[in-house]
Amino acid sequence: MGAYLSVPAWWRNLDGRYRLVVGECQECGGYTFPAEGACVECNAIDALTPTEPEGTGTVVAQTIIESGAPPEFTTLLDAEGAIGVVLVELDEGVRVPGMLTDCDPHDIGRGDRVTAVVRRIYEQEGITRYGTKFRPD
Amino acid sequence: MQDVYVVGAAQSDFGAFPEESYRSLFATALEHALDSVDGQLDRTDIDEAFLGTLGVGGRQLGLSAPSVTEYAGLDGTSATHIENACAAGGSALRQAVQSIRAGMADVALAGGVEIMTDMSGDRTRYWLGVSGETEWERMAGTTFAGVYAQMADAHMGEYGTTREQLSTVAVKNHRNGAKNPHAHLRFECSLEDAVNGTVVADPLNLYDCCPTSDGAGAAILASREVAKELTDDPVRITGSGHASSRVGLFQRPSLTSIPASQGAAKEAYDDAGISAEDVDFAEVHDCFSIAELLAYEDLGFCAPGEAGTYIESGATEPDGERPVNLSGGLKSKGHPIGATGIGQAVEVFKQLRGEAGDRQADGLERGLTHNVGGSGGAVAVHVYEGGWA
Ligand SMILES: [Zn+2]
Repeated sequence: MGAYLSVPAWWRNLDGRYRLVVGECQECGGYTFPAEGACVECNAIDALTPTEPEGTGTVVAQTIIESGAPPEFTTLLDAEGAIGVVLVELDEGVRVPGMLTDCDPHDIGRGDRVTAVVRRIYEQEGITRYGTKFRPD
Repeated sequence: MQDVYVVGAAQSDFGAFPEESYRSLFATALEHALDSVDGQLDRTDIDEAFLGTLGVGGRQLGLSAPSVTEYAGLDGTSATHIENACAAGGSALRQAVQSIRAGMADVALAGGVEIMTDMSGDRTRYWLGVSGETEWERMAGTTFAGVYAQMADAHMGEYGTTREQLSTVAVKNHRNGAKNPHAHLRFECSLEDAVNGTVVADPLNLYDCCPTSDGAGAAILASREVAKELTDDPVRITGSGHASSRVGLFQRPSLTSIPASQGAAKEAYDDAGISAEDVDFAEVHDCFSIAELLAYEDLGFCAPGEAGTYIESGATEPDGERPVNLSGGLKSKGHPIGATGIGQAVEVFKQLRGEAGDRQADGLERGLTHNVGGSGGAVAVHVYEGGWA
């Protein structure tokens, strides 16, 4: 059926779905998102300690999806007309992808300040999926 | 180490072919590739076959290489499937090069195939973005076009790259592809059309995106000894580079370059003993307009941030200093995922032998192919030269 986030894969990193969690590297002090695998800064393994960042950051890249979204986003796209998706560089220096919320995505761009909030993403296989979205400050 | 030569290369038409299967398309490409060999080469002379495919649509996933080679009359031949998303073809080529250089094979086949237009409605869209990062990038609502759109946004913001410069990629590649009888979208478009296309993922519109296509390609590689018996017009693969990077854009150090492209290019240039200035022409991975501009910079054709002015200068037009995507690129020729990297090699083979018909460019001695998987998770770069070593 293609690539989507199955329920077991969803449960595996549930902790990082209901709150924003990044990994702090015990080797180099850098941060990695998500908090698993090798450190993106220094490639150290087994060195990431999960930690909750402030959740504040700056938009470094943006897109507005107007068509071609995968089926799990169809309902949202139909309702909203467009989905703003940003890469945010958190103040800790790590980048996190997320949807924009509580705004018109056309009003947001690179350099704008945002804060992470937990929101409903979509429902699939009978489970409502939650995750981090970003709200303009 | 054995020198490697391309002795035959061909592709099927790229497009939408409801009457064809992934097997029949590959058999067609192989037939044409064997026909393109100057001397007599039988399919049974092939020692080793590598087949690039993603398997879009969920057709034969296990044993996808033998299921294709058996149909094409290669039963018994060593056959291996290579998966590296949109770079599967280039990665298969890399394996074929290695098998000959290592002396394990005298004749090796690098093939690729994909059927993307035969899925029913809703299923198709589950396959969109399967080569993006699934657990977080996709959950954030980022489509495949969306990831490249974010790179375009960053490049425009950081370097002042313009809407018109992005659209010039589409205009150029459609003009080239209109002359390619195997191309999927054989129409030309004006800059005005390309600037005003329907938005897909802002800032990218429909004209910034390549189509999804059905198609296959086959390249037959041989050692110097075998090539000497087959042709007087050899094409040598002098450089091979291959690199990987983080699958999700958010984990990469740069939003305006593709580290795996830079890594693969460096390896290929070092292997060939050349530098970027020595490349006469290239087929680069223009899945989205921004991707061609990033390729100019990552391959060293121009400095970081200058790709917009570089294309505007006409440097990569057919009569420019370094033509890029004479075939029409993914944008016009089409993008049957696993076949794309082989299709690029086919164009370089034809151009170096002066067999590219209406789109033949003059004075080409050294060509390059650049094949990207996903948004940069894997990249294959190869360098080709006419003549014997
Ligand atoms: Zn580290």
